[in-house]
Amino acid sequence: MRKIFSSLMVVILLTTVLAACGGNSAGTNTENTPGTGNGNKLEGKSVTLKVFIAQPRFKEQYDKLAEAFTEKVKVEKNIDLTIQLELPNSDSAPQILKTRLASNDAPDVFSLHAINEIPSFYKAGYLEDLSDQPFVATLMDNIKSAVTSDDGKVVALPLETLSWGYLYNKDIFAEHNLEVPTTLTEMKAVVDTLNAANVKPFLLSYKEAWIPQLLLPLSVGALIEAGNSDFIARMNNNEGSFSEMSEMFNIFDLINANGTDRALEIGGDDGAAKFGNGEAAMWLQGPWFAETILKSNENMNFGVAPLPINDDPNTTLINLSASTSLAVSKSSKNKEVAIDFINFIMSEEYSNELFQSLMFNPTSTVHTFESFPWVDDATVFVKEGKAYQDPAIPQVVKDEVGKGLQSYFAGQLTKEQVIDALDKAWQSFNKVNN
Amino acid sequence: MLQKSSKKYISLLAFIAPAFILYLCFLLIPTISGLYYSFTNWNGLNPTYKFIGLENFIEIFKEDPYFMDSVWFTLKYVVCMVVFQNVIALLLAVFIESRTRSKGFFRTIFFMPNMISIIISAFMWTFIFTQVFPQLAEKTILTFLGQSWIGDPKYSFIAILIVSLWNGVGYMMIIYLAGLQGVPQHLKEAAVIDGANAFQQFRNVTLPMITHAITICLFLTLNNAFKVYEVVFGLTGGGPGRSTQVITMNIFEEAFSNNFRYGYASAKSVILFILVLIFTLIQIRMTKKKEVEA
Repeated sequence: MRKIFSSLMVVILLTTVLAACGGNSAGTNTENTPGTGNGNKLEGKSVTLKVFIAQPRFKEQYDKLAEAFTEKVKVEKNIDLTIQLELPNSDSAPQILKTRLASNDAPDVFSLHAINEIPSFYKAGYLEDLSDQPFVATLMDNIKSAVTSDDGKVVALPLETLSWGYLYNKDIFAEHNLEVPTTLTEMKAVVDTLNAANVKPFLLSYKEAWIPQLLLPLSVGALIEAGNSDFIARMNNNEGSFSEMSEMFNIFDLINANGTDRALEIGGDDGAAKFGNGEAAMWLQGPWFAETILKSNENMNFGVAPLPINDDPNTTLINLSASTSLAVSKSSKNKEVAIDFINFIMSEEYSNELFQSLMFNPTSTVHTFESFPWVDDATVFVKEGKAYQDPAIPQVVKDEVGKGLQSYFAGQLTKEQVIDALDKAWQSFNKVNN
Repeated sequence: MLQKSSKKYISLLAFIAPAFILYLCFLLIPTISGLYYSFTNWNGLNPTYKFIGLENFIEIFKEDPYFMDSVWFTLKYVVCMVVFQNVIALLLAVFIESRTRSKGFFRTIFFMPNMISIIISAFMWTFIFTQVFPQLAEKTILTFLGQSWIGDPKYSFIAILIVSLWNGVGYMMIIYLAGLQGVPQHLKEAAVIDGANAFQQFRNVTLPMITHAITICLFLTLNNAFKVYEVVFGLTGGGPGRSTQVITMNIFEEAFSNNFRYGYASAKSVILFILVLIFTLIQIRMTKKKEVEA
């Protein structure tokens, strides 16, 4: 009797375990069976759209977006739409997304990084071609190129864009009658004035490797614009070397020699707090820390300015890049609705409201809202043409430069060793990806 | 007869089945597929990949100085951790066991850090190293505390050790305490009658009687020290540069941030697995031999 009972228990346990394993895939399959991409067939049916955006901090805004779109679809096309929003943390999102793609369980719409991820995802064949969609025509030119594949197809909608250089404390600059420097020499003069007035010119925060890394896109982008236009192409063919970019150490040395103490112990958030408290006049950082800075000091008056690399004012430019972008999965069973969703995000009726609530920069001609002062600062440069598209540097090189510059700062590596390590990293990228 | 014994096996199997199936799904199958991927050049995304045999392993040993550096760094960490964690835990256990009163109090105090998750304690200590120590150095005579603890590669290893020990010693101490309480009183008394002093008594009676606790503690510390990740991640993030990068971190970097070489990173994980396996096997063989029964 006891034996029967125990084996029964085991069977029950087993089935629950197995049911839990299998439940997920079974459920999603049935949901997706209606709708094979044809809008007419969908009428009156219920459709589930799976949307994956790696920005949990905007849950409220995206919930609203989903609600608005569901309503619109119901009214216009008579489709009962359910949007399954998945907002994982950006640290783990790439892994989750890759797993889902590899196991044929791709979300219909998903977010990815324009510069870093679009090329490899496009190559692997996961991205739907969106070139013919109405939103494409409204995109600003220099942003459109960020979401265009190598063979000229627009494969994603740019959601979050950044225009950045370094941040400076406007109050400190005003107090000492300083102008935003346009050349390295002018920057040195600014540094000298600040030093003389006993104000630390630069805030250093190198604990996290991605912060010193910022120097690379800034200097490479500027130097490419200044004439070395085939640098990326040559690097991709193992023909270039970062020794062409060695000018970047001039500004890096200047920053380090005139910076705050204990740089390798200060991370981004600490840095934002210190910058907010006016401990230094400038910070090698982008406006994505705006919220954190304002949290530590809500009256903080800061601006975005382009970083001078050398004495040519034409290389002092703003970096303009697209990061989070939305793509439609090629294997989506509800492509029609998914594409409508993408267009809805850039539609005149809803886009302004959405982008404003997300505090993103305008990316399209439909955007007419007023942006933040620091965004306007950068937009002034962009409108003057003093901006360049974020160079397509492989992720591995960016990681390497962050670590390399940390070691360089700690005195463990020389310039030449850093340059050598960067060249090697790019070569390994070429080896793996060709 | 035959039927009866097979029935017995079936019910035994049925009992381990729930745990075994979980183990199979979430540990065994991933391990085996990881082993398989270590022979491929999969990048974690492409649906297609090639089987490239031992190329990954050859590359690791020939062309990957960063991985080798991380192996040496991890070995250094393992040695220090195994020695210090066990010595300190044993000393604490002996100290607590020798108290007649307030045993419970000290036991709780020393075990407490273990209750905090290691990543939280790393963040706590980051604050201590970067904010509290410099202030202390400034305001008191303890100027040696003022150096850059986690920013300077010379000291960051010590910082990592301090936090790991602070967090890990309590658990080992509890195991040693249990071992010490199991030492029969009559043996100690016999030793005292034979004229043994406190040290001789500890060396010749207590220590042999707690070898089983030593086996367990050595195994745990060895195993965990090889797989260290959170402390380093929380304190230095492997930096500055790669000066405090441990094996697990190097693997993570290879798979999820560098070139997304899942296959190559899997090969590194296999090497880590083999390393841990060899070391723990040797350790268990050696200490098991020394165990005695009362």
